[in-house]
Amino acid sequence: MTAIVELRQVSKSFGNLKVLKDVSFDVQPGEVHALLGENGAGKSTLIKIISGVLHPDEGELRVVGEAVRLASPREARGRGIATVYQELLLFPELSVAENIYLGHAPRTRWGAIDWPKMRSGARALLDSLDSHDLDVDTKVGLLSVANRQRVEIAKALSQEARLLIMDEPTAALADSDARKLLTIVRRLRDRGVGIIYVSHRMQEIFALADRVTVLRDGAFIATKPIGEVTEGSLVSMMVGRSIDQLFPKTETARGATVLELRNVSHREIVRNVSLTLRAGEILGIAGLIGSGRTETALTIFGITPATSGEILVDGKPVVIDSPAAARALGIAYVPEDRGLQGLVKPQTIRENISLAIIDRLARLLLIDRRREGQLARESIARFGIRARGPEQLVRQLSGGNQQKVVLAKWIATEPRVLIMDEPTRGIDVGAKAEIHALMSKLAGQGLAVLMISSELPEVLGMSDRVLVMRGGAVVAEFDRADATPDAVGSAMTAAGQSSLEGAA
Amino acid sequence: MTIRSFLRHETILLLLLVIALIVLAQQSDRFFTTDNLLNQARLMAEVGLLALPMTFVIVTGGIDLSVGSIFGLAAILLGVFWHGLGLPLPLAMALAVLVGGIAGLGNGLIITRFNVPPLIATLATLALYRGLAEGISQARSVRGYPEWFFVLGQGEVLGLPTQLWFLLAIAIAAAIVLGLTTFGRTTYAIGANEVAARFSGLNVARTKLLIYTGSGLVAGLAAVIFVSRVSTTRSDMGTGLELDVITAVVLGGTSIFGGRGTIIGTLLGLILMQALKSGLALGGVKGDGTIVVIGVVLIAAILLGNLLSRNGDG
Ligand SMILES: Nc1ncnc2c1ncn2[C@@H]1O[C@H](COP(=O)(O)OP(=O)(O)OP(=O)(O)O)[C@@H](O)[C@H]1O
Ligand SMILES: [Mg+2]
Repeated sequence: MTAIVELRQVSKSFGNLKVLKDVSFDVQPGEVHALLGENGAGKSTLIKIISGVLHPDEGELRVVGEAVRLASPREARGRGIATVYQELLLFPELSVAENIYLGHAPRTRWGAIDWPKMRSGARALLDSLDSHDLDVDTKVGLLSVANRQRVEIAKALSQEARLLIMDEPTAALADSDARKLLTIVRRLRDRGVGIIYVSHRMQEIFALADRVTVLRDGAFIATKPIGEVTEGSLVSMMVGRSIDQLFPKTETARGATVLELRNVSHREIVRNVSLTLRAGEILGIAGLIGSGRTETALTIFGITPATSGEILVDGKPVVIDSPAAARALGIAYVPEDRGLQGLVKPQTIRENISLAIIDRLARLLLIDRRREGQLARESIARFGIRARGPEQLVRQLSGGNQQKVVLAKWIATEPRVLIMDEPTRGIDVGAKAEIHALMSKLAGQGLAVLMISSELPEVLGMSDRVLVMRGGAVVAEFDRADATPDAVGSAMTAAGQSSLEGAA
Repeated sequence: MTIRSFLRHETILLLLLVIALIVLAQQSDRFFTTDNLLNQARLMAEVGLLALPMTFVIVTGGIDLSVGSIFGLAAILLGVFWHGLGLPLPLAMALAVLVGGIAGLGNGLIITRFNVPPLIATLATLALYRGLAEGISQARSVRGYPEWFFVLGQGEVLGLPTQLWFLLAIAIAAAIVLGLTTFGRTTYAIGANEVAARFSGLNVARTKLLIYTGSGLVAGLAAVIFVSRVSTTRSDMGTGLELDVITAVVLGGTSIFGGRGTIIGTLLGLILMQALKSGLALGGVKGDGTIVVIGVVLIAAILLGNLLSRNGDG
């Protein structure tokens, strides 16, 4: 069988940084080929070459046996190569159907857009993806991330894709949505579509892939059938060493209560939340998407100030009506959406890391550039950010490295309470272990950590206590010892009826 | 944007400017005379002053269409305060500047308190402030200012037109604030990603409020200088001025989408525009022709800027 696409000895550089070195890669029809590697290994770059966004400096690209030079993503689409990018690219103001058919809408004989055909086509595509509940006339901006992703996939399929490329499709999804996505991918594979699948989640790779290819620092390491590898062997291929512990939780002495919420509400979204957070403690919040976890964090951080209830810092009631007020109290928030809320992407790493403490870096209002540069260099070293240097633009970094920049920025404020919303989203195993270790270390130094995560293993592995939220309210609380996947999982869905209101 | 790509845009502007000057010098031997150059500097001072705060405004991703109207309002009120109310002229001058500041503050409040897009807010105040100016003046003009007052707009200090000193001083201050201070950094962050700026604990609303207030204050100052230069006040002063100001800023490489721009760029854009205007006038091109040429140069500058920023991140 001829491969749908094949890369032969492809190299690519940005400036004098060689991002891909002599990489060979191919995808057969009806197979899921997983692409693995650390943050910045070159996965997205490889994908962009196949989808016509970038051109290889050396080597060749073959589509169904024919050597081609793809002038644009449009040409790649014309050849049946469809891509769902790491950062979703839909137009929020347009409807689902319009997004799906953007650029290739069905036409009437007169050349006008054939609306009925477009809507019924969109409907059929979504149905084939088991998304019967998704309305084709809704504006995309109103959809959840999971649904937006289904629209992206439908869009890819609307152009008769022979190859579907998915760059970290589940990074932003909750477990249940991620499982649904896997079903969709399997169904496409059975139709004979070839799939390139990038993910940092190991279970998915084993559940889905037929073959895996590992990249490290832009170099090709190996391509193996999934049966010949184990999680351990993949990790050591990726990072060049083995990782002993993904959840390096250390027991720390808990200090005094730093943050306390008493019946805090924000409109109808956050309802009577009470919680206490002590120095040295990691408090995990589990819950489904839409359960009010992020909204609670935003209330503590002053983005959506509390409309009733009381917040106490060090036992004293405080008013937090803006992020600036929260920051002044030593509260830091690593947001859920790094592109929108966390980073100023057109600016440099240096400018991003210093942004939240810029007034502290200034003397007589003038920014101390030397100290700022030093802070950036230290952070790059401390967090292992892969970059050319402090002056590189953040938008040029790989997804995982962008996340590290957001973390670095907030750690630089030397907070007393650190709220982390999906802290390891899109981060590779190696970096994940590093971030977990860092979290443990910071807690050990007396930082109070509030961690929101959709990855249950992460919540259970890292937390001293686990709160479960549902419908904007805290519905259960577990100590580390009692927090089993079953107990927490059933409290998250309505099935669990244990209603221990937020205690202590 | 890195410092390097900023400089690249400015280098290109500088080249354009040199080419324009060479061409102009060849067109007319009256162009490269000290008298003409100083006179040109005098003429561009008001637009130049307004372009400085406008750079801040556009870097935040906003726009201030009302500067021409604020300018007119301040000019009229200078006459009213002095001639109509009989206040001492220095006090009337200070009050006129203050009125500009208050008008700018009004813009800022509408934009930050009620979340009105700057384009809409200042379009409304463009009409409002101009209407006020016309209502107050009743189409009467004020003349007969004392001799010392003309030093500001027609006199010289140390061999340079007085207003050029104002322009230089405020330009230097603006360049320092935008380039080196936390305020400037906040301005860029707001323009590049306002949500992230807010999530970083930066005071977005206060920064914008100060910028629009500053824009009004400077418009007031420019109006006083202008009245001194032309020795009279009328209510239609400064009509259409905002277009020249915005053109100079955008020509100087400030992105209309925000997040990018420098004071040096704005000054180069300003000089280029003024050189074109005067050169074309000397060459006998009429007003309409001048506008066409400036439009073409503006489009070229924007295309060039797009090309550069695309190369910038590969
Ligand atoms: N436009 C660019 N200019 C300069 N360097 C770039 C550019 N795009 C990517 N890079 C660099 O290329 C390297 C590979 O990036 P890539 O996005 O392919 O990584 P990745 O494997 O997808 O990582 P992640 O898992 O974090 O998404 C990184 O070091 C990145 O900084
Ligand atoms: Mg990537």
